[in-house]
Amino acid sequence: MATTAAHPERVGIRGPNIASADVQLPAVRDYEQVDRDIIATLGFTKKWFLGLGIAVLAMLCGLSAWLYQIYWGLGQAGYEPPVMWGNYIITFVFWVGIGHAGTLISAILYLFRAGFRTSIYRAAEAMTVFAVMTAGLFPIIHIGRPWKFFWLLPYPNWRLLFPNFKSPLVWDVFAISTYLTISTTFLFIGLIPDIAVLRDKETNPTRKRILSILSLGWRNSDREWRHFAKAYLFLAAFSTPLVLSVHSVVSFDFAMAQTPGWHASIFPPYFVAGAIFSGFAMVWTIAIPMRKWFKLEHYITLNHLDATAKVVLFTSMVVGCAYLIEFFIAWYSGVRAEQEFFWNRVFGQWWWAAWIMLLCNMALPMSLWSQKLRRNPAWLFVLSLFINLGMWFERFVIVVPSLSHEFEPWQWGGYTPSWIDMAFLVGSFGWFFMWFLLFVKQLPVMAIAELKEIVAPRRLHGHDGGHH
Amino acid sequence: MQGVLGAFHHIDATVAAIKDAKARRLGDLTVYTPTINHELDDAIDAPVSVVRRFTLVGGLLGVSFGYWVAIWSSNYWPLVTGGKAIASWIPYTIIGFEMMVLVGALSTVAGMFINSRIPRLTTTTGYDARFSAGHFGVFIACDAGKAEQAEAILRQHGAVEVRREG
Amino acid sequence: MSTEAGTGVKRREFLKILGATGATTAAVGCSSEQVGKLIPYVAHPDNTVPGVSQYYATTCRECATACGVLAEVRDGRPIKLDGNPAHAMSRGAICSTGLSAVQGLYNPDRYRSPMVREGNTLKPTTWDKALALLAQKLGEVKSRGQAGNVVFLNQHEAGTFPGFLDQWLAANGMPAHLSVDPLAPVATIAANQQAYGAAWPGLDFGAAKLVVSFGADFLDGWGHPVPQQLDWADARAKIEGAPRLVYIGARRSLTGLNADQWIPAKPGSEMALCAALTGKGTAAAAAEASGVPAGTIEALAAAITAAGSGTMALCGVTGADAVACGTMVADINKQQGAVGVTIKPAAGHGGYAGLSSFADVAAAMQKMAAGTVPLAFVRGANPAHTTPAAAGNFAQAFGKVAFKVAFSAMPDETAELCDLILPDHHWLESWGDAVGMSGQLGLQQPTLDPVFDTRATGDVLIQVAKMDQALAAKYPAADYRSWYIGKFPGGASGFTAALTKPSVAGAPLAARTAATPVPGAAPAAGTGEFFVHVFPSPTLGDGRGANKPWLQELPDPVSKIAWQSWVEIHPSTAKKLGVTEGTHLTIETAGGKVTAPAYIYLGVRPDTVAIALGQGHTAYGRFAKGVGVNAYALLAGGWDTAGGLKGKVTVAAESSPLVTTEGSARQHGRGIGQAVTLAALMGQEAEEGHGHHAIPGLPSQDFQSGLKSPIAADAQGEFADPQGKDKGMYDPAHSSKMEKRRWAMTIDLARCTGCSACVTACYSENNIPTVGAPYQGRALSPSQWDERPGANIIKGREMAWIRLERYFEGANDAETTFSADFDTRFVPMMCQHCGNAPCEPVCPVYATYHSPDGLNVQVYNRCVGTRYCSNNCPYKVRYFNWFGYGEPARRQYAWPEPMHWMLNPDVTVRGKGVMEKCTFCVQRIREAEHRARSEGQEMAADAFTTACAQACPSRAIVFGDAADENWTVAKLAYDRRAYHVFEELNTYTAVVYLKKVNHPAPASPAKG
Repeated sequence: MATTAAHPERVGIRGPNIASADVQLPAVRDYEQVDRDIIATLGFTKKWFLGLGIAVLAMLCGLSAWLYQIYWGLGQAGYEPPVMWGNYIITFVFWVGIGHAGTLISAILYLFRAGFRTSIYRAAEAMTVFAVMTAGLFPIIHIGRPWKFFWLLPYPNWRLLFPNFKSPLVWDVFAISTYLTISTTFLFIGLIPDIAVLRDKETNPTRKRILSILSLGWRNSDREWRHFAKAYLFLAAFSTPLVLSVHSVVSFDFAMAQTPGWHASIFPPYFVAGAIFSGFAMVWTIAIPMRKWFKLEHYITLNHLDATAKVVLFTSMVVGCAYLIEFFIAWYSGVRAEQEFFWNRVFGQWWWAAWIMLLCNMALPMSLWSQKLRRNPAWLFVLSLFINLGMWFERFVIVVPSLSHEFEPWQWGGYTPSWIDMAFLVGSFGWFFMWFLLFVKQLPVMAIAELKEIVAPRRLHGHDGGHH
Repeated sequence: MQGVLGAFHHIDATVAAIKDAKARRLGDLTVYTPTINHELDDAIDAPVSVVRRFTLVGGLLGVSFGYWVAIWSSNYWPLVTGGKAIASWIPYTIIGFEMMVLVGALSTVAGMFINSRIPRLTTTTGYDARFSAGHFGVFIACDAGKAEQAEAILRQHGAVEVRREG
Repeated sequence: MSTEAGTGVKRREFLKILGATGATTAAVGCSSEQVGKLIPYVAHPDNTVPGVSQYYATTCRECATACGVLAEVRDGRPIKLDGNPAHAMSRGAICSTGLSAVQGLYNPDRYRSPMVREGNTLKPTTWDKALALLAQKLGEVKSRGQAGNVVFLNQHEAGTFPGFLDQWLAANGMPAHLSVDPLAPVATIAANQQAYGAAWPGLDFGAAKLVVSFGADFLDGWGHPVPQQLDWADARAKIEGAPRLVYIGARRSLTGLNADQWIPAKPGSEMALCAALTGKGTAAAAAEASGVPAGTIEALAAAITAAGSGTMALCGVTGADAVACGTMVADINKQQGAVGVTIKPAAGHGGYAGLSSFADVAAAMQKMAAGTVPLAFVRGANPAHTTPAAAGNFAQAFGKVAFKVAFSAMPDETAELCDLILPDHHWLESWGDAVGMSGQLGLQQPTLDPVFDTRATGDVLIQVAKMDQALAAKYPAADYRSWYIGKFPGGASGFTAALTKPSVAGAPLAARTAATPVPGAAPAAGTGEFFVHVFPSPTLGDGRGANKPWLQELPDPVSKIAWQSWVEIHPSTAKKLGVTEGTHLTIETAGGKVTAPAYIYLGVRPDTVAIALGQGHTAYGRFAKGVGVNAYALLAGGWDTAGGLKGKVTVAAESSPLVTTEGSARQHGRGIGQAVTLAALMGQEAEEGHGHHAIPGLPSQDFQSGLKSPIAADAQGEFADPQGKDKGMYDPAHSSKMEKRRWAMTIDLARCTGCSACVTACYSENNIPTVGAPYQGRALSPSQWDERPGANIIKGREMAWIRLERYFEGANDAETTFSADFDTRFVPMMCQHCGNAPCEPVCPVYATYHSPDGLNVQVYNRCVGTRYCSNNCPYKVRYFNWFGYGEPARRQYAWPEPMHWMLNPDVTVRGKGVMEKCTFCVQRIREAEHRARSEGQEMAADAFTTACAQACPSRAIVFGDAADENWTVAKLAYDRRAYHVFEELNTYTAVVYLKKVNHPAPASPAKG
């Protein structure tokens, strides 16, 4: 991980006012301080228990809704044929999208040597794992006979009956499960040295034993570090195309169908950009309160936020561009069904959803052109909530209006989610935050070992050397 | 195993000690560091990790398995859907790709575990809790005979503590 | 082992235990569903093979037509009705009402035993007790000498029973019974009697050149739906020289929508028009009265003259001067010499013989109200529902009767008022007969043992007679059947011989002679700025169909509304009143007022509102009670004077969603229902370009006649490649022979009238659940359920595998101006069994795939319910089981005991959470294949067909093997009118539509 060796001439200088690829941590003096600060974030508080309680309650509300729905049937949800997909698929895509920022930050930015990733990537990676865990539930919730979901898996059975590998849904199964496995592995591998740190600081014997096992007996030896670095590099190299593939595959669920509004070749890049966009928003939603409550302002500095804000601004423009291209193609294609559908989406039946999407995803992020706002955590937090909302509605606008206004006018319809749908939406947030809250108090939310890379090591004589 | 362990406060001191110890061929060195550091890498000057071979082999196995399972199972139950070919390799590329990533990544991790000898049950021999925090460590594996000399070198380069192991 | 030592378990016991445990685990472990028992016959009934259907010929008694039907009986239970191909009237076809008879038979709300009133409730009792009670009451009445005041209201029927009944009544010193049928077009009958000397002359559409209908809805149920529709469709199929139809009336009914021209004359102005057409009046005067341009009237007159003896003028007008109007219409026929050509008094229908008029019933009501009636009987008739309040409060009058006996099978409003219920058999359970076309008698035989503890009224009457010494001698016969056979010409042998014939000439008793009924005096038209048009529902009639979920779920052919009442109002009027779809409108006439949601309809005069009869039951079972409003309340006189009403319309604040299956009434130029003008077809003018059916912008897809998809070659992907190795079932040499076939269907839109019989036939054949009953809704919150009738249909969750789309063309600015000139396209839409089916590749578990014989197969027990197939289906013909409609434990259960007896054992009842769709009746395909194989021969061409094609009274649907040129479908697919829907999507459908043929308007002034 020899990515961002400290630039000696910068040591001790208060950080520059402009975020750069290798963001410094001027307020961090030495290795021990890193250990102190990060380990200080662990340990339980009343606030934390309160938050966990709320999360668990929300999750239970979703769980009971599920049992109710399994007993009665999907009719209890708001489905209104021909709108055969609704809230569950929307929320599925929403969470998969969230899940993208983590791996993007930890893998792609790693390959790009973007230093500002260091202090946020652990939290983002955890977010990824939990978001994908959440998303993975929804296809099962959504199908008519959830107790048969395993028929989508290529498991050996006595009739050698396998799934249809031509179906985008099977691609989904492969993409999502691979993504969950790899991102979990990636998270854990990164954690090993940090768990070793906790282990060595731990006094309680039982906890020490558990941590020793989790750390796999890591000893910080040069051999371990050497292979670790290589493995980490290749994991990053694998995760990078994986991130891009997963949301492309999810977009195939729509692009492979011939439904007007779905059948578009722009979907893969458009979805990936949207995913990164929403993912970064969720990183803000999580990281901005966290840096405050955990007193980590000097790790997640304004420079970090500034840098992420630029990513958000960029992806927002990519997404916006995709929206406009969709409209253009609809007009340019001359396909009447396509044209009438888009008109109905933006100015007809579904105008309100479409305009919520355009406002939150295209208009509001333009505020990030201003550096003041880029460096204003409060605004970024508010904006992140709007972007989350907007991205949920983007998926709504993709799924529902398309199905409600297809080729066959006799079967045009509408859609209103039911109370059951809402219970699942709430439940999904409960499930996600339950896991995240459990995580932040058990394991370091920042990569201790990597932070130490940024901090300059102690020297006997002066500041020479150490830089090639 | 036998050897002498020295703990250092300063990076440059550690580097000097490593170079010296290597020059005198006192025995295999193990360097402990809380994080990766170029100077140490250069001083140790170890060969490139072989983990990448695991990655390559794993990836190739994955992609071929992905294609194989898709094509074989399609032909085993030849059912026509949408007038498409029974075994359509183009969509199966996705299966191949995902399997490549999965198997490739997992074998990479396996390669790392095997090569860096983890998981291991004990960390005690020639290890000190400081090495995960702020200190650097140099362990020279040598018999009692050379131990004196090793200790001397480590001290001379400013080890804050020197200890005989095993 | 120590077993020999006698400790432990003996080997034999061990095996026993092993066997037992094995069995239990097998039974318990095999599936999550309930484990049923299969018990074979101990003593095998003669000529029944389990699992093989038997067909009993009988006569349908759902309406006065009395079609011959075949009851398909499986293991002793009728599961479906089909038309009797040998019968002169039905010719193998059947209507929705006829098909639904099994739901009357197995209706869960039928009286299950005799009932007697105790206080305010009816309690079950035994037949002995019930008959004793009846005998006692009869005795009292007779001893008090009041027998002369007894009233017997019987559902109208023409056959032997009415005569038998009158004999019985006479024997007891009671007056003849009243034969009640609120639906009978009394005015028309009276006019026919006067004009032709026949109550109902035969109508020969084949001989007709021009049909002028004055509100005669001969395709909606007026007269004899099935034979009329068969003749009409056959005549229209002659394309050139087909009869043209002009429809005159304030509302464009289903018949009107099938007309080549609609002349929206003011209600009540028909006489003036007739006068003009018969030369008794001037076109100007008629135009003045009717609001129809004089030019049109002159053109019509000219057209009639041109048609000459090919003219067929029909009058269905009700209300003021209806009879006079009818006779004037008849004059048109007479002038043109059409009587005997298109109108055949000789070949008349005897079904209306002995019909009582409302006046008779009203008289009886007055007697009841006066309290002079000691005893009243009612059988089948339901005057408590059909008597307009303005014509007297039936319930009140009936309540004054000392003792009321009902023979009705259903707990309808009238039966619920009675003191003693002696439930009759359903006609599928009983012996009898009915008079049909030209005096032919259709025989009726039981098709199963009675479902419940009921008895045929004939038997009951005989038993009661036997209890009275004075009468016993008159009734030596054991029961009605033996009495009937005794009277039958030729006796027992003659009867047995006759049973095998679809219909017979002679009758046991002379038809009951009663004076031709006369409609009641025309009531005051009433006041109000709107004409109020009340019409019988094509599906529910006067309400007698309302207890059958199939008929409730079947969307009205015109409005496409189910499980609801609605008020039809023209767009321009709606705009003026600020009314949108579903806004509640209150109609108030001299008779009374009703409130129902508005349906905005092009086909009604702006100064007219229309509402259908049939709903608004306060009893009559779970499917009828509390659904819609009873429009009889609007009538100012009796039920035979529905026409010529005027009334006020007030807009209510509230509104409710329409229970409609219609998404958009316009096809937005997508060419789903296509039409070609006659001229174009005859090559006299160029056909419109394909622009109107291809989606603009796509490369034009010129239609190549026939199925673009050959024998599933494209559908077989690489299996079409001769070099391919293992072709599985797709191998031409495979024993299934499937690869040689391509099942396909043609639908002739020039024949289709939109009657929707195919839809009900599909429900009946394929165990499709009805989902609209008030108890089938979903939870709106953890505590509250949606109990609106049709709640699931409001959510678009109807399950009709085949639906009848009704698209309008033209009259696009109806909101501002009223135009009578718009075209209607009826399109039966079901799974198109695409060669390149979009639904197949997206299914993750192969639950849908393409069979070698061209079927798009749906495997229910493999389906996990991702619903992706439906999303990707351009035709939107896949339906999802949102609830456990087939699970008796669920409130959404669609076949409450014993309705599940009618389920077709050949077809799975789909479980919760799986997708389903039209299968081209695959069970029939496989049955035919197996039969052919077991008989060791190739399947004959047109050897069988699907349920929809079999029922279709227009013969519009043809099914078969398109790969074999001997089948009709293979020829029709190459008709020059043929096209595929959404061809541009390259789905290569197996369903070929034949374009509707648009005839020029006969009476358009321009063309003259």
